[in-house]
Amino acid sequence: MGSDFTQQIRDKAKELLEKGTVECVIGYETGSDGFSARPAFIYEPAEVERLVFDNTCSHNLVKYLLNKKGKPTAVIVKGCDSRSLNLLLSEKQIDRDNIFIIGVVCPGVVEWGWNNRSDQLQIRCNWCRQHNPVIYDFLVGEPVTEGPPDDFADIAAMETKSTEEREAFWREQAEHCVRCYACRQACPGCYCIDCFVEQLDPEWVGIRIAPEENLMWNTIRAFHLAGRCISCNECERVCPVNIPLSLLNRRIEREVLGLFDYRAGMSEDAVAPLITFMKDEKLGIGE
Amino acid sequence: MSRIGVFVCHCGTNIGGVVNVPEVVEAARHMPLVAYADANKYTCSEVGQASIRDAIREQRLDRVVIASCSPRMHENTFRRTVAAAGLNPYLLEISNIREHCSWVHSDSKDATAKAIDLVRMAVAKVARHESLLPKQVGLTKRALIIGGGITGIQAALDIASAGHEVVLVEKEPSIGGRMSQLDKTFPTLDCSACILTPKMVDVAQHPNITLLTYSEVKEVRGFVGNFEVDILKKAKMVDYVKCTGCGTCWQACPERIPSEFDMGLGSRPAIYIPFAQAVPNKPVIDIANCRYEKYLKWKETEEGPEPPQCRICEGVCPTEAIDRSQKDEIITEKFGAVVVTTGFKTFDHSVYGEYGGGRYPDVISSLELERLMSAAGPTGGEVLRPSDGSHPKNVVFIQCVGSRDDKVGRPYCSKVCCMYTAKHAIMLREHDHEVQCYVFYIDVRAGGKDFEEFARRAQDETGALYLRGRVSQIYQEGKNLKVLGEDSLIGRPVEIEADLVVLATGMEPSDNADLIAQKLNISYNTYNFLIEAHPKLRPVETQTDGIFVAGTCVGPRDIPDCVAHGGAAAAKVVALLSQDSLTTDPLTSIVDPMKCVGCFACKEVCPFNAIDEQVTRDKRTIASINESLCKGCGLCVVACRPGAVNLRGFTSQQLLSEVLTLVRG
Repeated sequence: MGSDFTQQIRDKAKELLEKGTVECVIGYETGSDGFSARPAFIYEPAEVERLVFDNTCSHNLVKYLLNKKGKPTAVIVKGCDSRSLNLLLSEKQIDRDNIFIIGVVCPGVVEWGWNNRSDQLQIRCNWCRQHNPVIYDFLVGEPVTEGPPDDFADIAAMETKSTEEREAFWREQAEHCVRCYACRQACPGCYCIDCFVEQLDPEWVGIRIAPEENLMWNTIRAFHLAGRCISCNECERVCPVNIPLSLLNRRIEREVLGLFDYRAGMSEDAVAPLITFMKDEKLGIGE
Repeated sequence: MSRIGVFVCHCGTNIGGVVNVPEVVEAARHMPLVAYADANKYTCSEVGQASIRDAIREQRLDRVVIASCSPRMHENTFRRTVAAAGLNPYLLEISNIREHCSWVHSDSKDATAKAIDLVRMAVAKVARHESLLPKQVGLTKRALIIGGGITGIQAALDIASAGHEVVLVEKEPSIGGRMSQLDKTFPTLDCSACILTPKMVDVAQHPNITLLTYSEVKEVRGFVGNFEVDILKKAKMVDYVKCTGCGTCWQACPERIPSEFDMGLGSRPAIYIPFAQAVPNKPVIDIANCRYEKYLKWKETEEGPEPPQCRICEGVCPTEAIDRSQKDEIITEKFGAVVVTTGFKTFDHSVYGEYGGGRYPDVISSLELERLMSAAGPTGGEVLRPSDGSHPKNVVFIQCVGSRDDKVGRPYCSKVCCMYTAKHAIMLREHDHEVQCYVFYIDVRAGGKDFEEFARRAQDETGALYLRGRVSQIYQEGKNLKVLGEDSLIGRPVEIEADLVVLATGMEPSDNADLIAQKLNISYNTYNFLIEAHPKLRPVETQTDGIFVAGTCVGPRDIPDCVAHGGAAAAKVVALLSQDSLTTDPLTSIVDPMKCVGCFACKEVCPFNAIDEQVTRDKRTIASINESLCKGCGLCVVACRPGAVNLRGFTSQQLLSEVLTLVRG
């Protein structure tokens, strides 16, 4: 798989750069440890040999498109990444005309290992039902059949705990949080110029790094992603203190799926359920 | 530093009876930035207002808190008060210690503590208030009326007579609406057409009215004073400049189609006017049914057998007015105000299985009976049974068909049915003295001038038998109908052999009333009746400025009410159009261009289409608020993740100040 995918990507990148279709191809290259992939920005046809694709290609590169506004750019997307691309299109953050999408049928990506190649699939790949990109101009790989609907077993397990236990759990997590905002920086849905957490007037979240303020930060961020999170789980992957953010995001994702039968990022012109109103919609609340 | 004045109102004993007002005043004196605090027996009285004005001047106050009743009650009054003393009217905050405190609490100690908290919150908020200035926008002095029934006609005539231009849009080929289908009108029994047609002619002849029949409103943009409306003019296929309305064509047309105007009881040609007194009295070609148009359509594909060609109308027309080159056309016009008078249709009684579900030809709706009674109707005014053309002698009326019935989802009373049934009973007897009428009713609702007398007349003078109860079943027996019901007053089943059964079908809004409401951004209820801004105090206004509603599209009402309603809407329109410019409320949203990321979630949630796109100097596309359209509802504020949108007068900073003051004590 790896070398074949890599070759197809290199060929396409070369063609795009030579023809001048795009200025830059955002893909993956091998990192300094010799095997883990890291983001690569290729501007010259001669440099396409740097590009690789294998199961260490974890980063959601769509985030970088936000810095390429107005510049023709190609980007390599896996299934989950492609959904975030749709999210940004529907929220008018990027311009479809300027983007060439190289979709890759995702084999699943592995955890990062210190000095040795891990073969442990990331947890996001267990619940992933979008190995095939939902939007692309050029597809690498044969589309695969997706598994049965996600049962959200991790969320169900969390819900067997009492409210007090869960509160204690999250307070504990908030004590770990160092508010590095890596979750936000990795998240394709977090693109505000002036994030609420950094505003001083009004001061939505206290600036001090204290557990209750951290809890506020993580909760509001989860709500800002309600109906928008595409579960690429980059936030959790990049968290230096291993806060299980997927438990927050997927709890809301399950709610949105149940209430509105909606999965974020499945089409480029979708209107998210929380910013639309249908006359007949039933919320199952007070009805 | 601000100098805030706090004025606490006793409101007689309304507040003072529960809340210890002197204690609140004393507490207010020690609140941050408060320079002055005092109490009044009635702050809204002239004495109370004068004391505020004096305090502002003498104490050099620059912000004011008035702790009194709900701001919905007197906020505007007090804004004028502080403005009279030279303060910006928006440097005022009302603290509601009546509805939110004294009226809902009985314990004086707790209520006083709560009142102090409420005042402290208001002080914290007003400290962050800013001076706000209203803006002036121009307006187009023209009105659009959607729907040419009696309500729309009245509104059009009244607005036009006040000197403003009016465009009246009607989807049918003629104005006149439902009233033109009626025979007589209760309770005076004047002929409906005789009182309506002069008004229709007035509309056609009025120099300020442009009549657009066979037309529909497609899209509405803009805001009060400055609406831009796309109107679809359907192709009439007749040149109205050349046409004289001589009638040769519609007499010659060989096609016969069930007449909508006659509720399908009669027929009409394919080139037609709906009824003899139609305005304009010029025909349209019904493209779906015209033989030549059908032939032209066939010619495009040549599928199936070749239909006959016709073009007789073109041959007979003395002025060569038939113009088949006409196409549907969309025109765009500007208006300052819109009146919606889209009217009603009658309930489809076929959902009632017990009344035959529409299967029996001699079970008819009340509007069908109107057509049978009308001298201009399909039977020339002779009431004949649809099944065999005989004169009915025993006629059963059933009330509340599609009214006051939860079972069919119509719990409301249609208001006119009791009266028109009384009229039918009287008129049938007048048509034929041998007729015996039976009326199954729930109540007889005859509230209105001369209405009760009229309903009594039906019972006393014409011998109509009023039976209080429901009909359980109607079935055909031979040529006649068997009606099984119950007289609940004597508690016995009743069985009547009827020649004709008339169902008093209720009113429901015209088709697509909801779609029109959506285009205009006005609300409608579960039955699609349009919702007025206030059911008592603003009966013809809507929540969208510049859009007015009148007549039966708002709810069931009779002709006099419709005329009054149309006139009322006209008065409101005239008041609006008489201004030279409009003052906008400054309590609108504003966008911080540095924070906005242009996701336009605000645009999706805005119920008033008040969000525009704007390109900044650094080429970012961001949201901007059209302050004329914005109602200050605040939905955009909630939808905005980075907090780029703020609502003037209720900014996040102001509201958080209130909350923080409360939680920090």
